[in-house]
Amino acid sequence: MSNKYVEMGMRSPVNLTWEVTLACNLRCSHCLSSSGEKACNELTTAEALDLVEQLHTAGVFQVNFGGGEPFIRPDFEEILAACHSHGIMTCISTNGTLFTPELVARLSRNRLVAIQVSMDGAKRETCDAIRGAGVFDAAIAAVKLLAATKIPTSINTVLTAQNADEIPAMHEMASSLGVSLRVSRFRPSGRGADNWESLRPSPAQLLAFSDWLSSSGDVRTGDSFFSLTSQERQGLGLNLCGAAKLTCCVSPTGHMYPCAFLQTDRFEAGDLRQNSFQEIWDGSEIYESFRNLRIHSCEECQRFDQCHGGCPAVAWHLKNDINGGDPECLERCVTSIADNRLAEAA
Amino acid sequence: MKSSQSTESAGFTRMAAAGIKLHPSCRARQERFGLLFYDCRGPRLLFAATGTLIPADFFGTIRRRDEFPAGVSESQKMALNKFVTQLLEKGFLHEQ
Repeated sequence: MSNKYVEMGMRSPVNLTWEVTLACNLRCSHCLSSSGEKACNELTTAEALDLVEQLHTAGVFQVNFGGGEPFIRPDFEEILAACHSHGIMTCISTNGTLFTPELVARLSRNRLVAIQVSMDGAKRETCDAIRGAGVFDAAIAAVKLLAATKIPTSINTVLTAQNADEIPAMHEMASSLGVSLRVSRFRPSGRGADNWESLRPSPAQLLAFSDWLSSSGDVRTGDSFFSLTSQERQGLGLNLCGAAKLTCCVSPTGHMYPCAFLQTDRFEAGDLRQNSFQEIWDGSEIYESFRNLRIHSCEECQRFDQCHGGCPAVAWHLKNDINGGDPECLERCVTSIADNRLAEAA
Repeated sequence: MKSSQSTESAGFTRMAAAGIKLHPSCRARQERFGLLFYDCRGPRLLFAATGTLIPADFFGTIRRRDEFPAGVSESQKMALNKFVTQLLEKGFLHEQ
């Protein structure tokens, strides 16, 4: 990962997260965007298709669709098709509950789509406690439909206190189903903030996960664990936060943010109904502040070159300080465990 | 385009590659420093300080292994040859 070139500034994001709707048929307790009801004033079909044109012109390589549940949007396949017609790669994060053989057949006609089905445990009861009754079985059914196609498919799980011990079993489950495993970091935004204390993995669980990850090179993390990345996984992904440098987020209403976990007024970079995508990417003061963000408080850390201060979103949500360094980085996990042992010994 | 030809090697026959092309899972675009390659399979990025020597769409069509944009000097060709080898090894380009 060459920070020198990243710091020169990209003409557009490499990829971006586009939450196409806030509507969702589930109410997962860790949902980063508190999805449920459709938002007022979501982008219309015409506006969404115009955005695809703008992303193409800007040179964006990949759009990661999320929500909400993207397939609730009646025009979602039309938006997908528009991306694919321009060669834009797409990855869809879905709960899998709306999948039918017909939908999977339509999706499999295109080679530019990848799908992540969200699941939160290898055990039915663990997954359904977070996502709702019956979701585990529905998601497994969707994964089986997808695994029978050529669509690159992964099970995406958010690491929580409840499922941390089941991650290796999820890895085995994904392998047995013929798909890959992707593990995402739990962050305190949306309903995830409301349920932070009950769902957050402990420092010991984060350390154990980091160790396991270092010997599980085929497990993807979407760069969400770069603050925990061990030496063994260096080179597999980013060693710094890519928000506003390599990626960004578009909300259902067309507002742009540095990342999906910072969708608040404080971090709004622009409104696509007021300015073009390129104007916002090039001219937003919020984006500029992220490009110039240096976590000086972490510079003396021995792991600074490996994470550059970690995730600013977690720092913001937990410490209200974007410059404060990631409160749950590997180094702080180790320190926290050592402090607890000392306290217990005393 | 150079046509494929059969070659005999180590006791078995294979078809020689007609040329090289950007892998279907990869994309490239021009940045200030040169070309930015993206591989969605990782995803992985490759930053190539090529300046404006190679257009971003150059590998969008099948190219001969020794084919370079017009106006490239001999010394630049040597450097580009190593660069193409690197792109092949890393899977951003593939043989067709």
